[in-house]
Amino acid sequence: MLAYIVRRTAYGFVTLIGVLLLLFVLFFLYASPHEMARRAVGEKAPPEVLEQWIVNHGYDKPKVWNPEHPFDTLLVEHFRRALSFDFGRGDADGTPITQRLREGMGPSLALAVPSFVFGLLFSVALALFVAYFRETYIDRMGVIVCVLTMSISTLLYIIGGQFLIGKLLRWFPISGFDASPSVIVRFLMLPLVVSLASGVGGSVRFYRTVFIEEGGRDYVRTARAKGCGDLRVMTHHVLRNALIPILTRTVVVIPFLFTGSLLLESFFGIPGLGSLTVDAVQGNDFATLRALVFIGSLLFIGAQIATDVSYSLVDPRVRFE
Amino acid sequence: MARFAALALGLSLLAACTNNPYPDADQGLKILYRPLAEPPRTLDPAVSYNAAEHQITGVVYATLLDYHYLARPYRLIPGLAREVPHARRLPDGRVAYRFRLREGALYQDDPAFALGDASALTREVVAGDVAFQLMRIADPSLASPVIATFAKIEGWDAFSQRLAALREADPAFGQQRIDAQYAAAGGIPGVKVAGRYQVEIVLSEPYPQLLYWFTMPFTAPVPWEAVERWDGEEGRDFFKDHPVGAGPFFVTRFDRQSRIVLDRNPNYYGLRHPEWGAPAAVYPSEGEPGDAPLGRLDPAYVGRPLPFLDRVEYRIEKEDIPTFNKFLQGYYDASGILQESFDKMVHEGALSEEMARNGMQLEKSVDPDVYYIGFNMDDGVVGSSAGEQGRKLRQAMSLVVDSREFARVFNNGRGVPAQSPLPPGIFGYEADYVNPYRQVDLARAKELLAAAGYAGGTDPKTGKPLHLSFDLGDTSTRGRVRFQFFVNQWSRLGLDVEIAATNYNQFQEKIRKNAYQIFMWGWIADYPDPENFLFLLWGQLAQSKRHGPNTANFANPRYDELFLRMKVAENGEARLALIREMRAILERERPWIELFHRENYTLFHGWVRNVKPAGLSLPTARYVDIDPELRSRRRAGWNQPVRWPAVALAAGTLALVVPGIVTFLRERQ
Repeated sequence: MLAYIVRRTAYGFVTLIGVLLLLFVLFFLYASPHEMARRAVGEKAPPEVLEQWIVNHGYDKPKVWNPEHPFDTLLVEHFRRALSFDFGRGDADGTPITQRLREGMGPSLALAVPSFVFGLLFSVALALFVAYFRETYIDRMGVIVCVLTMSISTLLYIIGGQFLIGKLLRWFPISGFDASPSVIVRFLMLPLVVSLASGVGGSVRFYRTVFIEEGGRDYVRTARAKGCGDLRVMTHHVLRNALIPILTRTVVVIPFLFTGSLLLESFFGIPGLGSLTVDAVQGNDFATLRALVFIGSLLFIGAQIATDVSYSLVDPRVRFE
Repeated sequence: MARFAALALGLSLLAACTNNPYPDADQGLKILYRPLAEPPRTLDPAVSYNAAEHQITGVVYATLLDYHYLARPYRLIPGLAREVPHARRLPDGRVAYRFRLREGALYQDDPAFALGDASALTREVVAGDVAFQLMRIADPSLASPVIATFAKIEGWDAFSQRLAALREADPAFGQQRIDAQYAAAGGIPGVKVAGRYQVEIVLSEPYPQLLYWFTMPFTAPVPWEAVERWDGEEGRDFFKDHPVGAGPFFVTRFDRQSRIVLDRNPNYYGLRHPEWGAPAAVYPSEGEPGDAPLGRLDPAYVGRPLPFLDRVEYRIEKEDIPTFNKFLQGYYDASGILQESFDKMVHEGALSEEMARNGMQLEKSVDPDVYYIGFNMDDGVVGSSAGEQGRKLRQAMSLVVDSREFARVFNNGRGVPAQSPLPPGIFGYEADYVNPYRQVDLARAKELLAAAGYAGGTDPKTGKPLHLSFDLGDTSTRGRVRFQFFVNQWSRLGLDVEIAATNYNQFQEKIRKNAYQIFMWGWIADYPDPENFLFLLWGQLAQSKRHGPNTANFANPRYDELFLRMKVAENGEARLALIREMRAILERERPWIELFHRENYTLFHGWVRNVKPAGLSLPTARYVDIDPELRSRRRAGWNQPVRWPAVALAAGTLALVVPGIVTFLRERQ
């Protein structure tokens, strides 16, 4: 297994280098240091101030090739900063990026963890419920509702949720965030409801299929023949044996709890890392974007390896070659 | 245990069932709630150059001068300075302004002051702080966007260069205390500190507009201790996030991405020394004729020391629609009007009945700005090298652009059609002036085009419609629809104008390379002086020659000569005559097609007092007051949660599912 992990880590490293290279190429295809400077110091700043900003931030170096000092280029600096975890300061406002990551992680987790936990519990419970009543109108109705909810764009859930729940019913604030303990729950409720509503349909459909497939296997029939109750069959036998697909779907998601949701955070004004990513893209903040993309990739690669390893933990039959 | 958890969850959900985004304890306080569309990048007054940031820095830092809150045209009044200084001509042609500071004005309390005196929480504002802040602007490492503005101060550039050279020569130099670095670089010779309370600014040539810059946070006194202490090291804040000023409010909470709280500063000179009657620190007793009927000269406020509010609270709101809805719920005190909601809010130019019933107020104001279509005068077809032919082409194109229709179609009719670069409220603007080339006249335009040699819009060289390029830095659908409006109007002349839209970055590249023909742009004033608009067409600032803001590359010797005279003239008949002549040149030459000056419609709730929209980015929070009781009552009335749909949904789900379960279980048995 160790050899497998080492091999996967090496593949992951290559992927990481590719991601960083792609980010560099795409970013500088789109934006120039002048554009970054203009965003940072303002539209009215004279050209000499823009030049000064570019020099102060090190964007005056050649991008890829410097015949005199081959290692003094933006590309080398880009890799050096990412791979040494020395993210530096944001281009947009000069704040240390590690500080921005620390500040953003809390709000992201505050929304993502309850969304993940409640979403998972709710989806599994609902999937078990409809799987138990399979072939009845409850099952069919469940499938129809799931397909309907899957077919609607998350944006519509957000705007509709803000309009219906925030504006018309006035249950929760339409948007915003305040980490004060007395009010934080108010701000999280609406995005949480939207997150559950938009994500639960697909999950329930998937888990239902898994549970129904497992429910038809011989060991389930044997358990029933031996007098095992329905509830026990579903929770102790079917659920336990359906863990691999559930794990595949969930473990990969866990790292992204830290990086937050781009859409939800942006629309609900939650100052997490998702929102920070959107700001970095809009503000041409290359340094912040590099840190976020690098960490996101790292977490994703790590999660892929962790998912593979977790298979062997839940199913002793799985072996790594 | 599970039941207990479910009960706890249910109760907490019930408790959370309110749309009030603020803690209940804040209900009775005089708090002005404002949205910010994006987090401030910096609150360092030397660097911040953004209207939203100036709303914060403008009340945290006390400036030497201010604008009268109610008077229009804008009038300068003393702030921290005892009076507005007058220019003093020196024998060698230089000009000096001497500022006398009020004695005894204090900064807000801040731990930074322990650097100067271990037991101090604050200290007096002194003339050296003004000089220090000017040196910060000149410091190249800050990349202040206004560094060039002050270049007329004697020795300004030389100081910047000395400082940069010293830092480059010895890296240890940059590790010294910041004020020591400035002192070692010799300071700025044209900024002379005379004693504790006087500072003289010496300019190498007349620049009367300098005084306007002393109303802005850029030049507000800053204590060196704050810059030194808040360096971002060892867990300390950065100075840009931790402003320390002598203004009416001070920052007590800075959650960059969500919430910024400013509390009333008890050290503010207006509160500590009401006996001074400092004009910028008491509510004014006079204003425009319309101010009294609108309640802006209420005796309950006139002459009272400022500010009236306990707190100003900013919340980051990136999306327009939620922000506007929160305003309608009473959680923001003022708001612009969403285009989609305009008809519901405004009816025939006045507040709709429904909104008036809710006690709202509508304030209209014209921004000191101008939006225009420009011709690149370096271009061989539309520019000055095309001579009379090019001039007539520009005149013809100007005659068919209908700004009023544009405002009606795209902006609910908001916007004052522009006749010249000068907007209302700026000296030199004359409401009765009608630019003959800004009145839609298709027949005359066709005549002019024929006289230019493009009869029916046909280019005689090709025999096809004259092809022109409209270069723009906006590729959005919304932008394209707007640009197409102008193209359609020009097509009535038979011209083939192609929209060459690129992203803003590529557009800037085109501008830098002088590779554009026709473009669209706007300008928002920094200060209320005609110089701040007419310089946009001064030949010395042509983009192609000096990379200046004259993007039209307009260069007319007579205009340039008049500009130099107008720039230094006092407001009066002589200056007006100069402006009229400059305007006549622009009218004939048509380097621009003036489009409109933006018109702002702002909604305020009835509990907000003393509101007067200010087109410039003036911080108005210190004049405004709130009636918190009225606000609480109205909010409570508007925001009762509607709970029955939750019950109905739960009941409906049960009604659908339970029979199925019962039937299923029965069949199983």
